[in-house]
Amino acid sequence: MAKVKVASAWLDACGGCHMSFLDLDEILIDLADKIELTATPITDIKEFPQVDVGILDGAVGNKHDEEVAKKLRANCKILMVWGDCACFASPVGMRNLFSTEEVLKRYYTTESTSKDGIIPSSEELPPLTKVKPIHEVVKVDCYVPGCPPSPKAILYALNELLAGRIPVVPSEIMRYD
Amino acid sequence: MSKITLTINGKQVEGQDGSTVLEVCQANGIYLPTLCHLDGLSDVGACRMCIVEIERERRPVPACTYPAQNRLVIRTHTERLEKYRRQVLEILFTERNHYCPFCEASGQCELQKLGYQYQIDHIRYPYIFPSLQVDASNKYWVLDQNRCILCGRCIRACNEIAANHTLEFGRRGFKERIAVDINQTIAESSCLNYGACVQACPTGAIFDKFSLYKGKEDECQKVDTICPSCGVACEIKVLTKDNNLVKIKAPGFKDNPRASLCRMGRFELVAPKPPRVISPMVKGKSGEFEECSLDRAAEVLAKRLAKNNNGFSGMVSARLPSQTLKAFKRFMNEVIGSDSIDTIDGASSRLISEGINRFQKTTGRRGLDIECPIEDIMEANSIILVGADPDLTNPVVSALVRRSVDLRKTKLVVINTLDKDILPLWTTLLLKPKPGSEGTLLNGLAKMLIDQNPVSGERVSAEFRNSLVQYEIPKVVKATGIDKKSLESVRDIYGLTKPGIVIYGEGLLQQNDAGLITTILYLANITGNQTQDKLRVISLKPRANSRGAWELMLTKGINDKSNGLYLLLADELDSETLLPHLKGTGFLVVQASYHSPITEMADVVLPSPMWAEREGEYVSQDGRFLQANRVLEPSDGLLQDEAVFTSISQKMGHNLVLN
Repeated sequence: MAKVKVASAWLDACGGCHMSFLDLDEILIDLADKIELTATPITDIKEFPQVDVGILDGAVGNKHDEEVAKKLRANCKILMVWGDCACFASPVGMRNLFSTEEVLKRYYTTESTSKDGIIPSSEELPPLTKVKPIHEVVKVDCYVPGCPPSPKAILYALNELLAGRIPVVPSEIMRYD
Repeated sequence: MSKITLTINGKQVEGQDGSTVLEVCQANGIYLPTLCHLDGLSDVGACRMCIVEIERERRPVPACTYPAQNRLVIRTHTERLEKYRRQVLEILFTERNHYCPFCEASGQCELQKLGYQYQIDHIRYPYIFPSLQVDASNKYWVLDQNRCILCGRCIRACNEIAANHTLEFGRRGFKERIAVDINQTIAESSCLNYGACVQACPTGAIFDKFSLYKGKEDECQKVDTICPSCGVACEIKVLTKDNNLVKIKAPGFKDNPRASLCRMGRFELVAPKPPRVISPMVKGKSGEFEECSLDRAAEVLAKRLAKNNNGFSGMVSARLPSQTLKAFKRFMNEVIGSDSIDTIDGASSRLISEGINRFQKTTGRRGLDIECPIEDIMEANSIILVGADPDLTNPVVSALVRRSVDLRKTKLVVINTLDKDILPLWTTLLLKPKPGSEGTLLNGLAKMLIDQNPVSGERVSAEFRNSLVQYEIPKVVKATGIDKKSLESVRDIYGLTKPGIVIYGEGLLQQNDAGLITTILYLANITGNQTQDKLRVISLKPRANSRGAWELMLTKGINDKSNGLYLLLADELDSETLLPHLKGTGFLVVQASYHSPITEMADVVLPSPMWAEREGEYVSQDGRFLQANRVLEPSDGLLQDEAVFTSISQKMGHNLVLN
């Protein structure tokens, strides 16, 4: 049987959802027989080929995120999203409670991450927009919530897809934290 | 109540007339999701999760507010109802800012649980992201409007359980919020920190600070025990994780008169404490403490006690269970050879005891157990609160007083000489007699009651009757500064609005006059305010086993001439009231859980378990026998007090066998 082609990307996110996928550990070896990872943050390939399953984590927080989401949607048959940011916009969406200026000022001038209190700006940096869950931007077929989603929930969803079903995470393994 | 028959989901089920559809469902094992319902609170039908279809109703109705009736035909889980429930949940999630990953309630949140149950993996409605307040101004608990679903359980807990009416809904519609008084911060509000709202909140909108991030409820062990903090001795459920205190809750709101708990029982028991006394310490010649073994401390002590035992006294905290009190008494009697022994609040017990004895001598009644249970407050139609500040000393009693006034329009007379207002919003009549004239007022009241409605000799002895002759109204008016009209009002409220209860506390006992207690008992006796062998009188006692210590005769009082004191302080923290009495006691032995100014004064300091590390029996102020269970394993192999007594006894050549 031909391997199922998968492409993935993270949007406005911490990357923890993909880490949780890697936490499948030795199960990944079995999955590698059934799944081919194409453009993903793990393989570090950016251009999406035509794939069966597209996976996104993170919320949509700027124009770039929106473009990536639309590109992947156009290149996949089924779009699955991982994590609370992708499903529910938050935790990233917490910044919607403040203005963009407040958020940037807090991040670049009051925290230890800032060097000299300069807020970086460049034409190449897409401006921050209101944070949205992915399904407000493109059609999403299935959702795996969690912060991050447990490897168990991710595996459940992948196995369902491999079996030809659209997964809905069962109550027993669904978590929002 | 008569039985009724209903059809639920095609099945015939039985229910009680007068219950709600939700109650019938629950009694028959038919699950309905709920959010705004909580056992023990009134139902309001706010959240719409428990909606059901009833054949004669056009629309789905909330089961929690719909009266169950004979022959109702009900469906609980149709596709339409499940669709609506899911919609309600999604709207709740979008309306506020619910972020589970860093919410203290995650794992025990009722909204989250329903989200899982309905497999909500995304929300079809746009998020609102409202900018909302977090009020962390208060010492004990936080109100985070971001996580609020407006179910109103906190408001009902505040109104119905603590009966303090601090929380209410503020504004309307989309702008509706939980309001603290009239938009004050919790710290500056009328909140008395019972914490019933904390226990009632289904989400993370209200949470207590001391238990924050110490452990999730479902990871905790739960032990039922009692609170040692005051004479009411409330049943509490203690949550622990890894042998640490996490949280304290009431066992439930329903049918629990002590459900409110209070700041002492719910929060202070878990609050950060001073450093523990871990090792025995002996004060050297230079005045510095030296840590030592129990053996060494016992040796020093034995030597000193052998020299001084005639003039050695013992004092003990009535926060301790009866077994420990008994052991302490035997240790003092048999080993130290002293019967000069008292509890920290012994003076009050002696006064009450003397007051009861005098009453019994003249009326021929028997037994110490003469006061009514605090539940009777909820059946009273009039209450006299005299020389008592229950909000401060026994808050559960004041919650019951407020509930009684709220629910029964009970008339409350407050007789108070403090500057502070006691229960001002609930008071029908406030009397502020001149300080020290409470006795004249009470005796005057007794005389007025007898004069108005003559009673037989069985109820009032000639001796007492004669003692009242001097309390003519003009004289009472002059002595107390209370006008005649007010005096007559109290007489009529208490004498005519039955049943009536008199509650008194420390303020009255400070007058040091047992006659006042006798008069109070007579007030109840004259007016027939009694149930079987109990008089409707309540004395507020300061510690969970104050009554137990009194019954065990530990409150005899100590000999002024003693030149040494063995103080079993345990986990008492109130050193301010004790310190002045300890000056000039001579040799001082302090057995305590925590370092304090009192242990600083001591010559020998011995360790003692704190409340959660003990077990044993207690007698509450209203005579309930209660079992306290051990909640924590004593830290670092800490000895129980009994083992310390035995060890010292051996050094002194005694074989004290304690069970």
